[in-house]
Amino acid sequence: MTVAAALLATAGLTGLLAPRQLVRLAARGADPLVPLLAWLASTVSVVATAALAVTLLLLPDHGSHVLARAHECWSSLEHGMAPSVEAAGGAVGLVLLAGLLVRLTVVSVRGTRRRASRRRDHLAALRVAARREPGSPPTLWLDHDEPLAFSLAGTPGVVVATEGLHRRLTHEQVEAVLAHERAHLKGRHHLLVAAGDALSTVLPFLPLFRRAPGVVRELVELAADAAAVRTCGVETVRAALLGVSGDGAPGSALAMGRDSVQVRLDLLARRRRPDSVRSLLTYGAACAAAMVVPTIAAFTGLLALIMVAC
Amino acid sequence: MHGLGELEAAVMDVLWRTPEPMKVRDVLDGLDTGKQLAYTTVLTVLDNLHRKGWVQRELEGKAYRYEPTTSRAEAAANAVRELLNSSGDPDEVLLHFARSASEHETELLRKALPRRSRKK
Repeated sequence: MTVAAALLATAGLTGLLAPRQLVRLAARGADPLVPLLAWLASTVSVVATAALAVTLLLLPDHGSHVLARAHECWSSLEHGMAPSVEAAGGAVGLVLLAGLLVRLTVVSVRGTRRRASRRRDHLAALRVAARREPGSPPTLWLDHDEPLAFSLAGTPGVVVATEGLHRRLTHEQVEAVLAHERAHLKGRHHLLVAAGDALSTVLPFLPLFRRAPGVVRELVELAADAAAVRTCGVETVRAALLGVSGDGAPGSALAMGRDSVQVRLDLLARRRRPDSVRSLLTYGAACAAAMVVPTIAAFTGLLALIMVAC
Repeated sequence: MHGLGELEAAVMDVLWRTPEPMKVRDVLDGLDTGKQLAYTTVLTVLDNLHRKGWVQRELEGKAYRYEPTTSRAEAAANAVRELLNSSGDPDEVLLHFARSASEHETELLRKALPRRSRKK
């Protein structure tokens, strides 16, 4: 019982406290993919830790043969309540978790279908209205004055850009914008965003889940900026961002993004030289750490409790 | 070689380049797709474009004359508006270079920025 409670507590604490740490990590100029992957892994970890707690409650001997070596004191801590209460709690937890996972699946499938149909609509209009520049991914140019750029997910994904980019930016800066958009497609950022959106429906009372959609969107922009910096240099990316977000055009759709652009500019200013591509090892380590932290914290806490109590 | 989508784009291109309404035969002559297309193919494409609202047609004698419902620039502007509208949609997986749907998270990041750069 106590083990399960400790696991649930650390899962909850992770859901509450991890967001702040991860955002801080991103703001310190770390490779944006590290906090991003750690964030997604943390959500999995919270659910997995809760599942572990429920499993422990349901096991006849509460899995204690694994843990019993800790101390004799263990058994007194272990059974905080009558076994029947534990079993009932475990059953309720199991049903809740299963329900959440079913919901996540339904939300994901529905979202995937809706996105596919939106993508078809966009492409149908773009195919006629835009000039297609072959490449991988292809770029669709719209003859429009506002400097804009989008990336549209899919296989293959496409970059959509307006001729306005050429009118406001230098050739190098346009390349930086396109590099940013291609980085979205190459890094499967649309999938990460979709995952963040779906996850936010699982445990919306925890900030780790509730904030996932917004934070993932921010972090993929930072990741794409970092990729553009690697090919085009910091100054070019900064200039491109400034040129596109523009100071004019009051009330334009771009005004909404200005805050976000300012943060991106600040972060770029802190990055004096392009950072090298981090190894898969770093990403793997970030994910692994996020996965095991709640469980380790739970057992560390219990161990401390044993030391103090016995 | 040419999917229907590419043909639609090519036909619209011909119509946009010509100031007055065109018959199917004129469109066929104006097309430069690298291979000879059947009259009925172009007719089908124009029919599709009409159904989708890209072209309007007017009966003249026995044949229809087709013309675009919007100019090329208007079509581009409509596409841009469509993309901009949906880029704020939380359901949409479309990423926009300079727009973010999450002011709250921007705020979080800004607060987490070290003071030195926040002053800038």
